Amino acid sequence: MNILEKSELIKNQEFTARENVERFSEIIEKKNPQINAFLEINKEQAQKKALEIDERLKNGEEVGKLAGLVIGIKSNINVEDFTISAASPTLENYLGSYDATVVKRIKAEDGIIIGMTNMDEFAAGSSTESSYYGPTNNPAAPGLIPGGSSGGSAAAIAAGMCDLALGSDTGGSIRNPASHCGVIGFKPTYGAVSRQGLLDLAMSLDQIGPFAGDTSGIALMLESIAGLDPQECTSMEWEVPPFSNLVGENAKETLKGMKLGIVKQFQEVTDRPIVKIIEKSIDQMQEMGAEVVELSFDYIDLCLPTYYLINYVELFSATRKYDGRKYGSKIEEVCGEEVLRRIHMGSYISQKEFSGKYYKKALQARSLIRKEVTRLLKDVDLLVGPTVPKLPHKVGSTLEPLEMYAYDVLTVMANLAGIPAGSLKAGEVKGVPVGLQMQGKPLEDAKIIQAMDAFENLNK
Amino acid sequence: MKCGLEIHVQLETDSKLFCDCRTNYQDTPANNNVCHVCLNQPGAKPYPTNEKALEGALKIALMLDCKIAKEITYFMRKHYNYPDLSSGYQRTSIPIGYEGDLNGVRIREVHMEEDPGQYKPDTGTVDFNRSGIPLIEIVTEPDMKSPEEARKFLKELIRVLEYSGNARGEGTMRADVNISLEGGKRVEIKNVNSIKGAYKALKFEMVRQKNLLKRGVEVTQETRAFLEAQMITVSMRLKEEAEDYRYIPDPDLPPMKSDDSQVQGIKEKMPEPPHIKTKRFMDEYHLAEEHAKVLTSELELADTYEEVVKEIEAEFAALWMRDELKRVIYYNKMTFMESEITTSQIIELLQMLKDKEITTKAGQRIIEQLPQSSKSPRSIAEEMGLVGIVNEDEVLNAAKKAIEENPTTVEDYHQGKKAAMNFLVGQVMKLTRGKAEPGNTVKILRDLLS
Ligand SMILES: [Zn+2]
Repeated sequence: MNILEKSELIKNQEFTARENVERFSEIIEKKNPQINAFLEINKEQAQKKALEIDERLKNGEEVGKLAGLVIGIKSNINVEDFTISAASPTLENYLGSYDATVVKRIKAEDGIIIGMTNMDEFAAGSSTESSYYGPTNNPAAPGLIPGGSSGGSAAAIAAGMCDLALGSDTGGSIRNPASHCGVIGFKPTYGAVSRQGLLDLAMSLDQIGPFAGDTSGIALMLESIAGLDPQECTSMEWEVPPFSNLVGENAKETLKGMKLGIVKQFQEVTDRPIVKIIEKSIDQMQEMGAEVVELSFDYIDLCLPTYYLINYVELFSATRKYDGRKYGSKIEEVCGEEVLRRIHMGSYISQKEFSGKYYKKALQARSLIRKEVTRLLKDVDLLVGPTVPKLPHKVGSTLEPLEMYAYDVLTVMANLAGIPAGSLKAGEVKGVPVGLQMQGKPLEDAKIIQAMDAFENLNK
Repeated sequence: MKCGLEIHVQLETDSKLFCDCRTNYQDTPANNNVCHVCLNQPGAKPYPTNEKALEGALKIALMLDCKIAKEITYFMRKHYNYPDLSSGYQRTSIPIGYEGDLNGVRIREVHMEEDPGQYKPDTGTVDFNRSGIPLIEIVTEPDMKSPEEARKFLKELIRVLEYSGNARGEGTMRADVNISLEGGKRVEIKNVNSIKGAYKALKFEMVRQKNLLKRGVEVTQETRAFLEAQMITVSMRLKEEAEDYRYIPDPDLPPMKSDDSQVQGIKEKMPEPPHIKTKRFMDEYHLAEEHAKVLTSELELADTYEEVVKEIEAEFAALWMRDELKRVIYYNKMTFMESEITTSQIIELLQMLKDKEITTKAGQRIIEQLPQSSKSPRSIAEEMGLVGIVNEDEVLNAAKKAIEENPTTVEDYHQGKKAAMNFLVGQVMKLTRGKAEPGNTVKILRDLLS
């Protein structure tokens, strides 16, 4: 039963919202102490909302798209009265003072928010180990990191603790943990989903997106949260496709005639066992009628430095408000080493005497990458390849920053170019999930969702 | 000396620059006009830039004869750490206008900014009601040569801002004043909050620097603060300690393109700037500069004057409007607009004066009744019994009677006491119920007494 089918059951009162909340609460109670996917739970509020939805259904009243579905939210998205800590001691006492636009929309569609999920501190990481509240365990591969920074949301889905979850993706923070946990994660086109209420990592790259166990869940969540927010300047005016109508029907047909671009440099930087699984997936899609085109991307080495320079400067700027006056602690005095490193680097390279050399260069490099990505996508529908070049490491192992950053080499491109990208499970290497990444043209989010749906059906 | 100014004034808008909060920060309890955006709560993003603020800034730039940036406009983040700055940076736009001019002082640029909150060091609290209110900043070239010139410039600038209808007045002004003397480095004075303050700060600084130079002490480049209460400046920081604001383009606010038709639309609608209007009044209506300035001191007054002169001779209208009308509205502590005196009231009154239906004296008494009155001057005149100028014979008879009845005063007059004539004129006025022309009465009395 996929999420869409479950949502129908609830609407037909064959399964109640109350039962749904009950079941997930039990699972969370049982598994969360080991997994640490959720940092905060509000069961009572979820139950109350569930009862209200069931009551409305009983009375034959209209309910929203997400009615009765249980949802986890990453701890960097404002939800009123939950602790929005960004997994940092800086904000351990900050209670969400307003609802982010996505949260408003979820509530308007009768989604039930059950709690806040774990993450890397201020989303600056790829392992969820830098959380002030301790690491999250990977439910699909216990003992290994779940990836990050939205590791809590991915793990919550993988462990069956909720129907849907939200994460944020700045350089892969949704797709990376989706890949490691064997679930589906989707980063929409930059501007397709409002960022109002999302705590900043790098404003020009950040994007909120959904996690789910199947594509129908991604579709349902995306059509609930996407669309212009007149109160967020980078949000775009676009016709949101009826994503949930596009999945399920004739899923296998959609790959017929689709042009898939394979970038050889993506494969080159990726560990062999992962490449093998990805190649197999591509073969399967070809069998389903997809056409494969080989492409070359010469700027892959430019992506990480560009990404990190922008990330440092924008994080430095965004964290100036945590000066110790309004939220208790000054960020530099309490944060973890990765956040501190980025703030210091950001402060350093944005100095008057250096900004021309570093920050402005990074912005120029970014336009170059954008142009090149546009060229790559010109004659294909999607780019397909691995999501992460290597398998997750053991929780607690020591990695140099550059080793850590290497996890992001295949995901940052989508953020730099503002294009949509999703990751879903392609297979396993010794029981560890491996994700297949699909990237598309700006605002062609639907194409990725349809292709993911087809691929998912093919493996059933 | 050379002096340049950077002047900040609040733009007049109902809501703040990047959110929907009201801007009446002075009439509301502390931290009442706030939301997550202007408090810069975690995750808050600016709403789209307030169109009215942008339009106001464009209009002011145009009135200052600036070229308008054809390219895109965007906001930069200027980072600094201060309790009143809830985000840790101030959003400040790149120049909207540049290379302007106001009476020979070159305007380097005009741009927009957001106001920070208000920090009260004594209580250690911050009121964020002001946070996010749009400001306009006007930067001049160092073209003023004395404190007097700077003061004159600022007065004129405030008049332009008032004319625009898009800015709040001197009350919201904050200025940075740059001064350099021959042989010394540039000193910047911060914390100047009024025209008088700018003048006093410059005066003080000029004397201080002159004394240093006289003693052979170097005047170093530094930033000083003006202490309004003491009218002195004190050192804040030297050049080496200058802050690095780490400017970056604000990623939350995509660039905006100012479109030609908008600029054209503003140009068509914007009022003629007061300094240009003053010059035109001098040429067109042959007024002295002083008089032209009085008549253009307020846009509504200037507009009314131009309506009036379509019916009434310009010099006569100017005389009445700059003397009597100004006197009355000044006495009532109003602006001309607040007095609600209409063009037709003025025309009717001046017409009655011209036609000698009333005396000058009566005219003065009628004009005093006009503020916030919808009555016509004629009906006021009738109510008060002021209509009509008595003819020569009546005045002559009254004068004769006054002389007859006051022999001692006549005696005094012959002995050269000036007050005697005033007394006799008063008597004639009394006898004619104020309808005699004072000038004419004096003449008649003189003739009779000689
Ligand atoms: Zn506000």
